[in-house]
Amino acid sequence: MSTQQALARQSRWASIRKEAQRSITALLIALVVAFIVVLFTSKTPFEALNIMLTAPISKPRTIGLWIDDVAKLTVTGLAFSLVFQARQFAMGVQGQVYVGALASTYVALSPLGPTYAAIPLGIIAAMLAGGVWGFIPGIAKAKLGANEIVSSLMLNYIAIELCNFLVRVQLYEKPGVLTSTPFPKIAVFPPLFAGTRIDLGLILALVAVLVVWFALYRTAWGLKLRLVGHNAKFAEYSGIKSTVIMVSAMTCAGALGGMLGAMFVQGQTYGKLTVMFEGGLAFEGILVAIVARSRPLAVPVVALFYGYLRQGAQLMNIRTDVPAEVIGVVTAIIILLVSSSFSMPGKTWLTGLFNRRADAAPVAVEGAPK
Amino acid sequence: MTELLVTIFSTAFFVTVIRTSTPLLLATLGGLVADLSGALNVALEGQMLVGCLTAVIVSVYAPWYVAVVAGVGAGALLGLVMAFFALRLKADIILVGFAINIFASGGTVFALSLATGGDKGTSINLVSKAIPPVDLSFLSAIPGIGPFLTAMFSGHSVLSWVAAFLVFAIWYFLYRMPWGLWLRGVGEYPAAPEAAGIPVNTVRTWSLIVSGGLAGLGGAQLAMFNYVGFARDMTGGRGFIALGAVLLGARHPVGAMLAALLFGAFEGLSIVMPGLFADAPAELIRMIPFVVTILALILFSYRAQQALRAKSVAKT
Repeated sequence: MSTQQALARQSRWASIRKEAQRSITALLIALVVAFIVVLFTSKTPFEALNIMLTAPISKPRTIGLWIDDVAKLTVTGLAFSLVFQARQFAMGVQGQVYVGALASTYVALSPLGPTYAAIPLGIIAAMLAGGVWGFIPGIAKAKLGANEIVSSLMLNYIAIELCNFLVRVQLYEKPGVLTSTPFPKIAVFPPLFAGTRIDLGLILALVAVLVVWFALYRTAWGLKLRLVGHNAKFAEYSGIKSTVIMVSAMTCAGALGGMLGAMFVQGQTYGKLTVMFEGGLAFEGILVAIVARSRPLAVPVVALFYGYLRQGAQLMNIRTDVPAEVIGVVTAIIILLVSSSFSMPGKTWLTGLFNRRADAAPVAVEGAPK
Repeated sequence: MTELLVTIFSTAFFVTVIRTSTPLLLATLGGLVADLSGALNVALEGQMLVGCLTAVIVSVYAPWYVAVVAGVGAGALLGLVMAFFALRLKADIILVGFAINIFASGGTVFALSLATGGDKGTSINLVSKAIPPVDLSFLSAIPGIGPFLTAMFSGHSVLSWVAAFLVFAIWYFLYRMPWGLWLRGVGEYPAAPEAAGIPVNTVRTWSLIVSGGLAGLGGAQLAMFNYVGFARDMTGGRGFIALGAVLLGARHPVGAMLAALLFGAFEGLSIVMPGLFADAPAELIRMIPFVVTILALILFSYRAQQALRAKSVAKT
């Protein structure tokens, strides 16, 4: 019994090591490509690269920006992991962020805003709104077979325009300014470290990681969900209502997306609602989820690395002539490499070269079970 | 309200609808070709966007038709990249598609800033060319309906006529040529063509390349006729709407054309409405095409499901 457990643990570590190796290789390839692009285009390529790779940890303020991004990337990564595990390609996190932000804004600017109820109610309202936004494509697919990719993407655009509209006609501070009235101080997440943007959102993100992990790997619902994702037909034959699982997974992911909306507007970064506040972060959850292989516990680790890169690119954008959008190229390359079964050209040859002397022992071990 | 009806039934509105439908139709045809071969191309949006930028930049230095060809080439190249990662390296095609979209969204802004020396987001400083409209004013010579025909059919982009021809060409290819049969077979049940010795992955690769090329052509129309110039994320979800139009058009070229015209009509409506109702909120008007797409998709799926149910009842 104990040897079995030990073996299981061993194989788990081996697979983690393998995944990490793949991810780091992909990251390095992507960085090399980005560097080549920067080398040809920037007047000061080495300075640009230096800023991208070192600036985020240079000051407490930039560390705060980085960790704040990590919390947000973790939540969007979790939302995508949840639907990817059920093999649904709902791409609606962006829309859920906007409706969630709207809901929490309405709570924060209501008479409840200046009370202690503002933070919990804001989060709950945001989660409900996001859940509804995730439920719509889910139920449309389950009941009618409507393609969830298209419907969730359409809902993204609708949510963005809705947010723009409400900010302009109702929530504005003064006419012509596309931001809402700042929230009462008590409705804004308290910072965990003074002078940085690290706030309650980080704790929410970590709690979300544990909750999603528990739900996926320690409950019957999670087992069914993973089974549906693995083989929907088999799950259906074994009596699992795959449509119920599908809709509930998309709704839960929607609630996470909504919570991310609350983390944005109630966080230290904004403390108010503005138009287009999300800046494309929601979609980067795809990268986080894919590199983490949709494993909730791996999501924050990946978010830590990717958030660093993202923050570095933004600082590079401010301080040099290289636009931050170069990160889009890096993101795309990482997704392409990690989601495919790529292998380094000549890898077998290289390992053969290094393992030549040590290959006697592995052969003996491999021969043993026969 | 009467003003709106007068506007909608005017020839000028018809011309607007043709203009807004053309990029959508080209992208929809691209999505259709890929979808029928069993490879869902969610990268239409990114391929269109790259097509836009390539066409704009090339048109500064070359005649307009070279720019259009360059746009097609850029889209097709992205299609080839998709095929390489999805078919050769066995990545999930939807993830590959979204990677291309992310690449296009960031990469075009990046490339634009390089091409213009630091402009972020728009190509105002580039003197890009437009696709010339086709002048059919000689139709006025026909007595009686001549002026009406001129108003209806003159002044469209060259690519609108190309798109209309492509609907027929793709229909002919899919349903009257052996290669079209191969393509549909590969999408329907890959094991059978495989057993018959048809190279499944080669067929899919070509369909993805053509799909990307068509999306790039749509991008060229968007950036060289509908608008002249490039703006950050100027496709604004048209590639995703096209994906919905493929499904709404019942995966048939003529259906795709009708669906693209429907969405184009609503986009045209969102263009003319601010002129008629000055106080109508622009955000809600911009929302119209997306709301229509999602409603059409839901209604169509409902109808399709009912039809399927009726068929299975009839069988038993």
